Amino acid sequence: MTGGQAVLAARGVARRFGAQVALAPTDLEVGEAETLALVGPNGAGKSTLLALLAGALEPTTGTIERRDGARVGWVPQRPAHYGRLTARENLELFARLEGEPRPAEAAERLLAAFELPPDERASGSLSVGNRQRLNLAIALLGDPQVLLLDEPTASLDPGQRRRLWERVDALRETGGAIVFATQNVEELERHADRVVALRDGQVVFDGTLSDYVREPLADLFA
Amino acid sequence: MRAWLLLRKDLRVLRRTPLLVVILLAYPLLVAGLVGLVAGYASSKPRVALVDEDNVPKIIVLGGHRFHVDRTIARVSHDVKLVRLSSDEAERELRTGKVVAVVTVPRGFVADLRAMVRSPQLILQTTHGGLSPRVTQQVQALVYSLNRELQTAYIESNLRYVQLILHGGDGSFLGRQFHILGLDGTERELRHLPPGERLDRIRQFVRDARLALAQTNGALRATANPIELVQAPEHGRTWALSAQVQAYALALTISFLTLVLAAGALAAERDENVIGRLARGLVGLGELVSAKIMLAAVVALGVGFAIALAFGVVIQVGGVTGGEPWSRLPLLAAGLALAGASLGALGTLLGALARESRTASLISLLVVLPIVFLGLVPREVVPAAGYLSDAFPFAHSVRFFGAALYDASPWDGVAREGAWLAGLAVVFATAARAGARRLLA
Repeated sequence: MTGGQAVLAARGVARRFGAQVALAPTDLEVGEAETLALVGPNGAGKSTLLALLAGALEPTTGTIERRDGARVGWVPQRPAHYGRLTARENLELFARLEGEPRPAEAAERLLAAFELPPDERASGSLSVGNRQRLNLAIALLGDPQVLLLDEPTASLDPGQRRRLWERVDALRETGGAIVFATQNVEELERHADRVVALRDGQVVFDGTLSDYVREPLADLFA
Repeated sequence: MRAWLLLRKDLRVLRRTPLLVVILLAYPLLVAGLVGLVAGYASSKPRVALVDEDNVPKIIVLGGHRFHVDRTIARVSHDVKLVRLSSDEAERELRTGKVVAVVTVPRGFVADLRAMVRSPQLILQTTHGGLSPRVTQQVQALVYSLNRELQTAYIESNLRYVQLILHGGDGSFLGRQFHILGLDGTERELRHLPPGERLDRIRQFVRDARLALAQTNGALRATANPIELVQAPEHGRTWALSAQVQAYALALTISFLTLVLAAGALAAERDENVIGRLARGLVGLGELVSAKIMLAAVVALGVGFAIALAFGVVIQVGGVTGGEPWSRLPLLAAGLALAGASLGALGTLLGALARESRTASLISLLVVLPIVFLGLVPREVVPAAGYLSDAFPFAHSVRFFGAALYDASPWDGVAREGAWLAGLAVVFATAARAGARRLLA
C-alpha cells in the first residue's frame, strides 16, 4: 500500500469455481488516493479479485474488509445495466438502490456529466462507448470512496478513453482510491502508482510502478 | 422496499416487451385449446365392428312394429361408430387395433327376437388394455338403447294379447292363428245362461278380470322401466363455461405465464450482468427472489382477474344458468395471487438452476407441461399421479379456484388449498434462495 490508511482490504481471500481455483488466498490493501493497477494474462484472476473486492462475489475463504462508511463503486468489464430501461431510468433505479436522497437529481447530474443521451432510447441500443459510460456513471452513484474498474477502456476509442480517465482522475483528486485491471501499458504507466501482477490466481508481484517496470515479468503481462 | 423497486422495474420491462406478453398469454390459451381437442378426441366414438352372421333383414316386424334395422342402430348408437364387417375382417381389424371391439349377431338371433320366448344374444369381443372397460360400457349402452326400443314393441305386442283376452278376436302366436272369445264375448255368452249362484260367481270373476286387465298397460310399462329418467327442458351451462373449465383455464394460463416469467426474470438478472452489482449489498439474493415471486403474483392476479371477468361477461351476456359468482371474485383474487406466488417460487428455483434466461424459459416450458397434465389426471383413476401432483402448485390452484368460485361453502377447500399453495411457495422460495448463489458464479 503506497497511499494512506487502507479503505479496502482483502485478507486471505480465495475463490474456487467447483474444482477450479480462480484465486488463491490473497492479501491486498488499498489506501486512500491510491491508484492500483491489476495486471496479468487472461484468466489470471484479475476480474475475480475485483468482483470479490466489490462484494459481487462471495469468497470461498477469507474476508473483505471496508473502512466504516466507505462505499465502493464497481465497473465490471461487461456493462451491467438493464438494456430495456433508458439511461436515465437505469441511473434513477440504481440511485434509489444506493439510497441516494434525491435519485432523480443524481441521475440528471450523471447524465449531464457523462454526456449520456437523455432521450427515451433503451440503454441496450446505445453505442458501446455510451454503454460503458453508463456503466461507469452507475458505479459513481452514492459517491464511492473506492472505484473498482475491470478493463474499463477495452472497447472504447481513444477520445472516449481520455474522457473516462478524466472522470476517474477527478475522483482520485478528491481522495478516492482506484483499482483497475488493464492490459494496456500506456494506461498503466499514465495512471497507476502501484501494480499488482497476478498469474494463475496467485499474486506474483506487488510494488510501485517504477519497481514493476524493472521486473522482467513486466514484458509478459502488459 | 428494494424488492418493490425491482418489481416496478420488471413490470416496466414487461410493458416494453409486448410481443413477449402476447406470446405468454396466447401460448397457454393455445395449449388449453389443444388439451380440449385431445380430450374431445379421447372421448370420440370408438370404431366397433358389427358382424352379422344371421343375415338380419333390413326390416324386422316385432309385435306389429316395423324396425328398420340400420336406422334403429344409427339412432341408438350414440357412443360408438358401428361398421359392418365380415367375421374375418373384424377379427383382423380387432387384432390390428383398427376396431376396438367386435359385436357379433349369431345365427338364430332374429328367430329368437321374433319368438319372444328367450333373450337373443349378441357376442362382444374387445381388445385388452385401457380402452376395454370404456368400450364395454359403450356397447352395453348400445344394447341398453336397443333393448329400450325393443321393449316398447314387446309391450305393445303383449298389450295386444291382453286386448284380445279382454275383447276377443283373431290373433297369432309362434305362427299359429287362433280366435278367442275374450271377456266381452264371455259376458255376452253368460247372459244366455240360466241365472244361479254359480253363474253369478263366474260373472263376478269376469268383472274382476276386466278391472285387473285394464291396469295392465301401466303396470307393464312400469315393470319395464322401474325408474325413468326424464330430461328437463332447462339448459345447464355448456361444457366450455362450466366451473371446472373456468378453474382449469385460470390455473393453466397462470401456470405457464408465471413459471416462465419468474424463471426468465431471475435468470435475466445474470444475463444483463446486473446480478453482481445488486449482490454487493444493494439487493440481497432473498430480496431478489422475493421480487420475482411478487412479479409472478402480480401478473397472475392481473391476467387471472381479466380472464375471470371475460368468463363472467360471456356468462352474463349468454344468460347462462347460475350466472357468474361476482361476489366470489375477491376470494378468487386472493387465490390468484397465492397461486401466482407459489408458481413464481417454483419458477425462481428453475431460473436459479438454469442461470441463463433462454435455458430457464425452455426448462420452465418442459417442466410446466407434465405438471399441468399430472394435474389433469383424475386422482380416482391414477392415485399416484394425484400424490405426485400434490407436490406442485397447479392442482392446488385448480381446486382453490373451483372452491372459491362455485362451492356452496368454500372456506374448507380454500383454506386447505391455500395452505398447500403457501407451503409450496415457502419450500420453493427457500430452495430458490439457496440456488440463487449459482447466479453469481
